[in-house]
Amino acid sequence: MSSSILTARNLSKVVTSAEGELTILHDLSLELNSGDSLAIVGSSGSGKSTLLGLLAGLDLPSSGQVLLAGQDLGQLDEDQRARVRAEQVGFVFQSFQLLDSLNALENVMLPLELEGHADARQRARTLLERVGLGQRLSHYPRQLSGGEQQRVAIARAFAAEPAVLFADEPTGNLDSHTGERISDLLFELNQEQGATLVLVTHDERLAHRCQRLIRLEGGHLVDRVEP
Amino acid sequence: MPHMPLSRLLVLASRQLLRDARSGELRVLFFALLIAVAASTAIGYFSARLNDGMLLRATEFLAADLRLTSSSPNPDEQLQLAQQMGLEHAHLVEFSSVIASDSGIQLASVKAASNDYPLRGPLKSAAALYQAEETGPGPQPGEAWAEARLFVALDLQPGDMIEVGAKPLRLTRVLTYLPDEAGDFYSLTPHLLMHLDDLPATGVVQPGSRVRYQELWRGERDALARFRQAVSPSLAPNQRLEDARDGNRQVGNALGRAERYLNLASLAAVLLAGVAVALSAARFAARRFDASALLRCLGLSRRQALGLFSLQLALLGLAASLTGALLGWLAQLALFSLLGDLLPAQIPPGGLWPALAGMATGLVALAGFALPPLAALGRVPPLRVLRRDLLPLPASAWLVYGAALLALGLIMWRLSLDLQLTLALLGGGLVTALLLGGALLLGLKSLRRLLADAALPWRLGLGQLLRHPLAAAGQSLAFGLIILAMSLIALLRGELLDTWQEQLPEQAPNHFALNILPAEQQAFADRLAELSPHPAPLFPVVPGRLTLINGEPVRQLVSKESQGERAIRRDLSLTWAAELPADNQLIAGAWWSGQAADELPGVSVESELAESLKLQLGDRLTFSVGGLDRETRVTSLRKVDWNNFQPNFYMIFEPGTLQDLPTTYLTSFYLPPNQERQLVELARAFPAVTLLQVEALLAQLRSILDQVTLAIEFVLLFVLAAGLTVLFAGLQATLDERIRQGALLRALGAERGLLIRARRAEFGLLGAASGLLAALGCELISYLLYRFAFDLAWQPHPWLLVLPLLGALLVAGAGVLGTRRALNISPLTVLREG
Repeated sequence: MSSSILTARNLSKVVTSAEGELTILHDLSLELNSGDSLAIVGSSGSGKSTLLGLLAGLDLPSSGQVLLAGQDLGQLDEDQRARVRAEQVGFVFQSFQLLDSLNALENVMLPLELEGHADARQRARTLLERVGLGQRLSHYPRQLSGGEQQRVAIARAFAAEPAVLFADEPTGNLDSHTGERISDLLFELNQEQGATLVLVTHDERLAHRCQRLIRLEGGHLVDRVEP
Repeated sequence: MPHMPLSRLLVLASRQLLRDARSGELRVLFFALLIAVAASTAIGYFSARLNDGMLLRATEFLAADLRLTSSSPNPDEQLQLAQQMGLEHAHLVEFSSVIASDSGIQLASVKAASNDYPLRGPLKSAAALYQAEETGPGPQPGEAWAEARLFVALDLQPGDMIEVGAKPLRLTRVLTYLPDEAGDFYSLTPHLLMHLDDLPATGVVQPGSRVRYQELWRGERDALARFRQAVSPSLAPNQRLEDARDGNRQVGNALGRAERYLNLASLAAVLLAGVAVALSAARFAARRFDASALLRCLGLSRRQALGLFSLQLALLGLAASLTGALLGWLAQLALFSLLGDLLPAQIPPGGLWPALAGMATGLVALAGFALPPLAALGRVPPLRVLRRDLLPLPASAWLVYGAALLALGLIMWRLSLDLQLTLALLGGGLVTALLLGGALLLGLKSLRRLLADAALPWRLGLGQLLRHPLAAAGQSLAFGLIILAMSLIALLRGELLDTWQEQLPEQAPNHFALNILPAEQQAFADRLAELSPHPAPLFPVVPGRLTLINGEPVRQLVSKESQGERAIRRDLSLTWAAELPADNQLIAGAWWSGQAADELPGVSVESELAESLKLQLGDRLTFSVGGLDRETRVTSLRKVDWNNFQPNFYMIFEPGTLQDLPTTYLTSFYLPPNQERQLVELARAFPAVTLLQVEALLAQLRSILDQVTLAIEFVLLFVLAAGLTVLFAGLQATLDERIRQGALLRALGAERGLLIRARRAEFGLLGAASGLLAALGCELISYLLYRFAFDLAWQPHPWLLVLPLLGALLVAGAGVLGTRRALNISPLTVLREG
């Protein structure tokens, strides 16, 4: 497959603060095809998370354009963007971001239900078994370890078979051993489903497991590694 | 950091507080406190000032703040004592005397008054019959003023001469209003007012003649209380000291109830504010867990960290209390100026006390409700900087609830609620909370099983509630308490007003007719039927005195200053009736059942008097009637509605027992306003009949009740406003978690509509549960209050069942509105966290 699933053209983000206008992302363009994997690396404050937010449609750029699965996100309102996310996007966060009030199974069911899947329960169960948590379906997030919580989050991210998976420091809150196993799981599932992966990380080793890599510094693209 | 002086801690605390304030962190807590103090101060001022105003109005019934009445001249020592306390004094001597003029004689009730009479209330008179009345000082020496009835009876004109005893006086004006005449049922004959200086020359007052000596005083409340306390031990049995409350049964009842209501309403406002403070203080503490852990890591000891946060809270409390007190004071000023026309002209300013009390209330509530969550801050483990999921050990439940209960108890004590009321409220509230909270907890737990198959919005909305049933039950109790307080105050308002309205119906009898001769009985009744829509029946009256109970002299059996003592000191109006009069209720024994001939005749006794005289069914009572002794047996006890302005009797005899004695008849009737002429004609047609107007008393009562009503409605507004504020504060307290949840759900692709539906489901259920709690609690507490505090008859209130619906609408509406920030939050925030 060579069709473009995610395209960014001349993205800039300017925020207004007490000190005046601050440009946190400068004129950045990139294009990802289905099945690609991209690592975004850079130091703290370099604009990594800002870029991720713009690509995923969580925020809108000050100028420029994001096309996700053929849709121009800038032309959609927040609810329409939410629908695009529900249909096309999965997330894995550094701090897991599970809903405390739902158990593991229900957390994984959530994106399926948002999309209106009929067999949400069965599919969520299968995925949790796939990530090795078949025995923990009815556990609540508080009853799970950090690694287990992140596995639930990964199962949730892949549940709706997203076209693009965004992962924000997925191993940042985990010890190196657990982190290793989580990233293995992430790449395995990504391969199985043929999703596009956009990964923000500090971890150079994790970054280099991706096919492509961009490095940000002060909001500027300073390095680009292509296969 | 082994030692840090308090001054440095204080500087640190205030600096931290300013930073927090700038970032908007403290807004909720500050406003919760502000509302608490402002509401409680405003209600405090409002009720204190209005109460003073009402009392002032009520003092008119005595024409003074304090009145001492005696059948002999009052000792000089007592008068000097009052003078030493700085009380203003007026002297009044009352007696009955025959007034003679060229055209005849007429018995009149004479008041000889010193210059300063009356000390409270206006004295009104007119230049001639049926002319406009004016307010001013009383007659000069050599003059007399008389009521229209006397002018009519003796065919007099202003300027004519009359004689009171041996003293000739010139009748100069028509007396239209004596403030202390209103409640006085002795004065069956027309009134005449003369100057005290002329009294000796009349020669009427001789040793042994029936005279009432009255000392009237006016002064500061404290001075009056001190005098009352000082003089009480020296009062002789024939002396009676009374203030506005003792003076008139109806006014006393109305004032007592109004005062309790206002106190209860401020308690409700404080309770609501307390809940708001507790909710926002818990949030204050939770948001400082990180800061506390960090400070501990930086080397602050537990005590220092705790001290720092306590100082912050204290500074915040002080600032909010001062602002709130000022706001409350301004609010009541604005209120009084808005209501200027409806309120009495003189309203005392209220002093500093309500403001101080309001501030103290706020600070006590802050301490009671906020210290327990704050105490948790001291126990935050420093390790939290590394592991954010480490929470402090929860505070002991005893500490949390003990502190809150103590704070409530203190505030109740401040409001000087009596023990019964306090216990009814605290106990009723506690039992309700425990029972209903437990039931709710079980209900929520069983609901959890049903939830698995529910639609997504329901599962999202209720998941939070059901995951933490204890917290949900607590939240529901808090909202329930708010709805309970608001509906209870609304409920009481309605029923108190209804009770007063019933007490004084539009056409309450405003005239009494006495001394109707048996020969004129039918003619008078016929004439009355033409004039008045619903005259009361004519009751026969025979004056008589209770002398013996079961053969023992009554005087030895009753305690001084009791109702019984007052009743036996004078002649009672004895009557007989075949049927139980309307508004009388038999509470013991049986109405006449046709006793055997050898038995004593029966008598039915009013129940309060019976209690005061410790009478039982079957007791033998001996009356001295017309110089003869009549022996009777108590066959029934009756409850009498003394507020209905109908002829009421302590003693009702069996028909046939008193008929042989000289009898007159008595009735009451309503005459529409502006029918003075008809009244005069009635008086002319039946010259022997004494007509007594109670219109003035009714008008005074109505005006007092109008003010009380007004007070109650405004206090209700305050309580409602406080309740709504608390509702929003409560929602604010859960906002952080909701914002996080909302952002995450939106990042995962949830639309706004779904979030709104989930919120509605959550808050709707919470509100419905709260409403149900409130309805049940309201019934229980209203039952206790009616029974113990307001002496009202209690009936179930089925309309309270709308409260669950109302609660669902209110809480869901406020919930969606109050948490809309969580809906509009950018989903990007999920990336910023962690």
